[in-house]
This record gives sequence, structure tokens and C-alpha cells, in this order.
Amino acid sequence: MTSSELPAWSEPFTNRRRELRRRLRVKGVTRDWAWGGATGAGVRVGIIDSGLENAHPRLRGRVAENVTVEMTDDGPRVVPDDPIDMFGHGTACGDIILSLAPDVELVSIRVLGADLRGKGTAFAAGLEWALEHDIQVCNLSLSSKSESLYPVFHDLADRAYFQSMALISAANNVPAPSYPSLFSSVFSVAAHAEPDPWRIYYNPAPPVEFGAWGVDVPIAWKDGGSTVATGNSFAAPHVAGLVALILSKHPGLSPFEVKAILASVADNPGRRHPWRRRVSAP
Amino acid sequence: MDAAIAALVAASRRSAVGRRLQGDVETRLLQSIVDATVRLFDAEAASIALFEPDPDRLEFRVAAGEQGAGAIGLSVPPTQGIVGFVYSTGQALALSDVANDPRFNRDAAEQTGYVPRSIAAAPLLDENGTQGVLQVLDKHSSATFSLRDMELLAVFARQATVAIAATRVQRDTARLLRGVLADLAPDLTDEQAEAAVSAATQGLDAEDEPFWSLVDQIARLRGLSDRETSLVSAILETVAAHAERTQRGRIGR
Repeated sequence: MTSSELPAWSEPFTNRRRELRRRLRVKGVTRDWAWGGATGAGVRVGIIDSGLENAHPRLRGRVAENVTVEMTDDGPRVVPDDPIDMFGHGTACGDIILSLAPDVELVSIRVLGADLRGKGTAFAAGLEWALEHDIQVCNLSLSSKSESLYPVFHDLADRAYFQSMALISAANNVPAPSYPSLFSSVFSVAAHAEPDPWRIYYNPAPPVEFGAWGVDVPIAWKDGGSTVATGNSFAAPHVAGLVALILSKHPGLSPFEVKAILASVADNPGRRHPWRRRVSAP
Repeated sequence: MDAAIAALVAASRRSAVGRRLQGDVETRLLQSIVDATVRLFDAEAASIALFEPDPDRLEFRVAAGEQGAGAIGLSVPPTQGIVGFVYSTGQALALSDVANDPRFNRDAAEQTGYVPRSIAAAPLLDENGTQGVLQVLDKHSSATFSLRDMELLAVFARQATVAIAATRVQRDTARLLRGVLADLAPDLTDEQAEAAVSAATQGLDAEDEPFWSLVDQIARLRGLSDRETSLVSAILETVAAHAERTQRGRIGR
């Protein structure tokens, strides 16, 4: 089996990091400028997932609201939810986000775990609810392969972009398109293996634009528990945490501006500030 | 319409005989995939669970490895557990140190008699959505699964998905017939279509019919030489001619 057969979104962030060298660094945009002193205060982060276990000690009481999508004969309806997590995964994402941005407000939008017919439709309804409820950052661990939902997600991703809600979407390691993770307006994320929650890579050759820690990540899990996990869906909340920090220090930035900041402060190889060299060159 | 149904009955019978003669191709293909997975990963177990409706469940069809056997036949709800999560989201993931999850421990031990330390699971995804989940338990060489492991697991999951798609037509004659009928006669009501399908597929899965044990016996003749095959064929020819004569005689009486 050759490596070209592997559907490896993580490949640029692990084995081919040299290719990330093509870089533009914006003068003055440093990590200290981007999020120095920020805690995520004032930012509402939506987690579209399996729910949040509000009482989990590692969520430290930061869950502001729990809702879920109910499928009715008249279509999906968003209703208040119990403070529960059906799988543990949503709680894991919340834990990772808080480890970077401890003062954000978490909002659980549960679309998994119950016997939900039409999961893609429920997922779209959850995303729409987030757009209408003052969420600034939204973490998505799932995406849909349904062709019929393509225009629905395209529309929702555009609405998110134009109203400056950052959609952070875990890339799906399958050799087929999945939405909205492959839309250009979202922050798509795959895993790298270095155990550093602050280390991110910008990939100048998308579809997957960002790499974050997603291998052997110690996380919170169901029933107050914890475990160690690997997957792109544990990389995405690291980027969600960083975006929340940036937005808490610089409110009102558009997703395009936030992406430019992340690209500028990313850990890609290459000189930090190439313009300095140009100045001193003969 | 009657001629079409008669043709469908003949096609169904042929397909059922073909399936019978070949054995369960899907299970054999999936088995070979979990065999390869467990060997390549050097793991305690690998298994594949497929989604089945009414009631919704993920049913473990095949397993390999020293600790795999306990999983076969087991069903888990798609709304629970690591396999359920991977099925629901289509996201591959690995957990190590699952011993920290007391509920998981207890459930696993009760159901399969084996408590793994680590699990990696990948979805079986095709254009119709997620068909099931491929999981690997406990690599011998390492306590955790690397990115490379996850990527390889996705490749094996892809193989399994292709195998399922390739054998689905065989497995699901009834669904195929419904499709053909819908094309042939769009005006047919659901009840009429259902009646036609059950007429066409009736008896195809009846285990105890003598006809099927005959098919099974013929399946055992695979691997005969050409000469032996023509001998068996000549014997069958004679018996069939006798059967036809007897039947004609009965009708004439």
C-alpha cells in the first residue's frame, strides 16, 4: 500500500511539514498581540455534539445552556435539554476548549445520542439555532455526506461567515466530500501528533486548513470520567479554543480575519519575520 | 405483468441458488478484512458491526483475534458507546486508557467477556451514509493508536464498505425486486408491490425444503474434475428426465 492511497488529511501536519513553509507573516501579528492576556471571557462557544455533562468537574460550571433537536412531524425543533452527554464526546470537546479559553460560556447543542431520524437534518437545525442565538464560535465534530443537504449546509456556512460566527469543523478522514467541513468558509481541522495544545499549523494547500493536537489527548469523558483520545474531532476544539481567545481580545473580527491571524502565528517552519531579513539584505 | 413477475420469480430463484452455492460471500469478505486488520495491527481483536433496522442496532458480524470471538452476534444500540458514536458521526476515533470509564468496563465485560485497554474505530462510509463500524482492540506493540494507525484503519474500513456494496444486491433480493417493480409498474400500490415481492421470494430462505439441501449437496461438488462433473451431470440428467416423466404421468391421470 502506498501512502498516496491513504486519505490522510493529517499528512501535511506530520510527515510533509516542509511543504507548509510557504508563508506570509503579518508584521506585528504575534501570539501576544493575538491573544496575550485573553481568557475567552464574553465569548459564547456552541458545541454541536453529543451533549455536555454540566456537572463534570472539568467543565467547571461554564455551561450556560443545553438544547437539543427534536424531530417532529413538522420538522426539527430545538428544545431545552437535560445537562447530559450521551457519549462523552461533547464533554471532551468542552474540556479541551476550556483548557485554552477558561472563561468562555459553553452552549451544548445536542444532535447525537437520541434516536434521531435524519441526523443530517437535525445537525442543520442545530447549526441554524446557533446562528440565531448569539454564538460566536461553533465546534462541529460531525459532517454530512448527504448530497441533498449540500445546499442547506452551504447556505448555513455562508450565513455563519457573513454574520461572523466561526465554524470549526473536524475533517473527516474519508476519501469523499463531507459538508460543511470542506467548505472554504469554515475552519477545517485535522490532527497533528505533538502533545502541545497551543501548537497549530496552517496548511496553504487546503481543503484542510489547520492542524492541531489530536493524538493521545487527555480528555474528560462520560460520567465524570476521563480518558485519552485520538482523532480529528479532538483537534478541532483546540482551534475553537484559540479562536475564542482571539475573539475575546478582538471582538467583532470576521472569520477571514481570524484565519489570517491564525495563519500568521502558526508554528509552520520558516523564519518568523521575513520582512526583517529583507530590510537588512544588501 | 404476470410474465414480468414470472421472470422475477425465476431471477430470484437463480440468485438464491447462486448465493447458496457460493456461501455467504459478504461474511467471507468481511472476515478476511478483520483477519487482515488484526494481523497488521498485531491486535487482540478486530471486528465489524453493521447497522440493522427494526430495532435500530449495530450487529457484530465478524471478528478476528484471540479476544474477538465474544463479539460475534452481539448487538449494541447506535445511540451508545464508542461504536455508536463513530456510527452516528462518521468520525474515526481512538481511545486509550478506557479502563478509566467504569461503565464502559462493566458493559464490555458483561457482553464479550473481555475488557480492552484501548479501542480504535472507523466508520464504514459510502454514498448512502454510514453502514457500520470497524473496530480494533488493544495493539500488542503500543498502548495507543497513532495517526498512521487511524489512516490504515480508514483504508480497511473502505475495503469493508466496498465489499458490502458489492454483495448487497445478492443479500437483498427483496429490495432489488421492489426497485425493479417500481420501474416496471409505477402505478402499483405498495400492497400490490409487496404481494408480488413475497410471491417472488417465497420459500427462497426456507432452510428445510429438500430442494435446498440438494443445492447444498451440489455446492459440495465444487472442485471435482471435468470428468467427474460430467458423470454427475449425466446422473442428474437421468434423474431429472425421470422426475419430468413422473410429473407428466401424475398430471395425465
